[in-house]
Amino acid sequence: MSHPKLELTNITKVFYPHTVNERIALKSVSLTLREGDFVTIIGSNGAGKSTLLNVISGAHRSEAGILRVDGADVTRLADHQRARYISRVFQDPMAGTSPHMTIEQNLSMALSRGRRRGLRRGVSAAKRSRFREELAALELGLEDRLGVRVGMLSGGQRQALSLLMATFSEPEILLLDEHTAALDPQRAALVTRLTGEAVARHGLTALMVTHNMEQALQLGNRLIMMHEGEIIFEIDAGAKERATVPDLLAEFGKVRGATEALSDRTLLG
Amino acid sequence: MIVALDLGLVFAVMALGVYISFRILDFADLTVDGSFTTGAATAAALIVSGVSPWLATVASIGAGLVAGSITGLLHAKGGINPLLAGILTQIALYSINLRIMGRANVPLLRAQTIMSPLRDARLLGTPVSVLVFLGLAVIVAALLVWLLSTDMGLAMQATGDNESMIRSLGVNTDAMKIFGLALSNGLVALCGALIAQYQGFADIGMGIGLIVAGLASVIIGQAIFGQRTVLIAASAVVVGSVVYRVVIQIALMVGLNPNDMKLISAVLVVVALLLPKWDVVRRYRNSRQERLDKLTEPFDEPEPVAIGKEAHR
Repeated sequence: MSHPKLELTNITKVFYPHTVNERIALKSVSLTLREGDFVTIIGSNGAGKSTLLNVISGAHRSEAGILRVDGADVTRLADHQRARYISRVFQDPMAGTSPHMTIEQNLSMALSRGRRRGLRRGVSAAKRSRFREELAALELGLEDRLGVRVGMLSGGQRQALSLLMATFSEPEILLLDEHTAALDPQRAALVTRLTGEAVARHGLTALMVTHNMEQALQLGNRLIMMHEGEIIFEIDAGAKERATVPDLLAEFGKVRGATEALSDRTLLG
Repeated sequence: MIVALDLGLVFAVMALGVYISFRILDFADLTVDGSFTTGAATAAALIVSGVSPWLATVASIGAGLVAGSITGLLHAKGGINPLLAGILTQIALYSINLRIMGRANVPLLRAQTIMSPLRDARLLGTPVSVLVFLGLAVIVAALLVWLLSTDMGLAMQATGDNESMIRSLGVNTDAMKIFGLALSNGLVALCGALIAQYQGFADIGMGIGLIVAGLASVIIGQAIFGQRTVLIAASAVVVGSVVYRVVIQIALMVGLNPNDMKLISAVLVVVALLLPKWDVVRRYRNSRQERLDKLTEPFDEPEPVAIGKEAHR
């Protein structure tokens, strides 16, 4: 039926609860993604962007709230159980691949995402020819290097591979956590382009955290801004195409002004 | 010297077990000292009580699987540090091994064992027994290489290589570690059962320091052959085990006594660990690696031409 692809209802995440270090990272966040939505998330450090992705992927457990994928409640599933629905690209190019294993082995493991892994051959001839095809589309020459260990690749190549691994098995939800932040501008632009292409080709529903406002505007059909664990601003499909970086900076300015005034008052008070 | 080949090939089964925990799972598992004796004790106790030696040997594998799972549970579910989890199981197994045997030593000299056909024909320590044990080591290594190339085996390799990545791909890494440690100690216990039947007794102290012999085999073998693929790595472990026993045999022949063996084992492992770090050796290995890479794959990264434009848009 027409369930939303991803539905967060009043998700709250508290770090170090009941201690002096208690910090509320997400304050009752609600967010709904329809099929094919591609939402980019911006916000200052500590706004809760990465925490939000970690809660969705299951790496962190939320203290309250409900998380649904395709109408199914997945709040209580562990991260490896949610992998059936959700795939993810990390910020660190080293994090998304297995360095001592070959390109084809890494791809094979990604192809089995969320499925039972039995005693079939990990890399079969059929899979190999599919991998070659998928890698050729990256235009990095990796299709001729299936047997090379991933640790031998550059950061940009590894991140492009991670992206392919996360998308070609067509997950219900794709999570991108500042996945171009660790790359030089040229490689970042390449991975950004590949991201747009992959999401479009597979019709994926995606959430992307980024610090780069240009990228946040370039990719996706919706944009949200987070601050101190809350979604404070949202641009919808239509408005996003017309939005510019100065618009976003102005929104940031509002928030910053508010908090600075507040902290001044606290200091004086 | 032929006895050293015999022993090296039988102990290769144990070394392959250590390879699973130490290299594949990246888990220094000290359970081995206990589970080796558990395998020997289980087989010896069953054989003495009249059970078929083949059945007794299979039962010893089962005992090793249980021992390994306990270490796995302590670590994966209990969150106990790998070294400590292994030591705890190892110490607990000491008491359990004594319970299984009923005393500190069980002689098997007059019992019918799976080694009896070879022993009765006076073939132990001859080229024939070397061939038989070579066959055994090759079969175990081949099964391991096959297992590691399956979907499940790839997931196990990734569990030791990049745990958070393979979890994000839907693998329960806790279960994978428990399974891997069980398998590892199953092989170690099988080796214990074989050694007990080879030497004609099981003894409570036979596993002491064995982890060092296992690590020595893995490290020596892979220092010689490298570990580019699982096939090379597993074969290297078998060769490493034989090399280790031969070195020990030579040390005995030049007049050191059996009590010195633990010291020699430890020195061997230290040398094998430090040698690859020396500049001379490293330079040699790197140049060999480069030649290998040139032979196998082109290694140029093409410039993504179209990208520049997009970046400056």
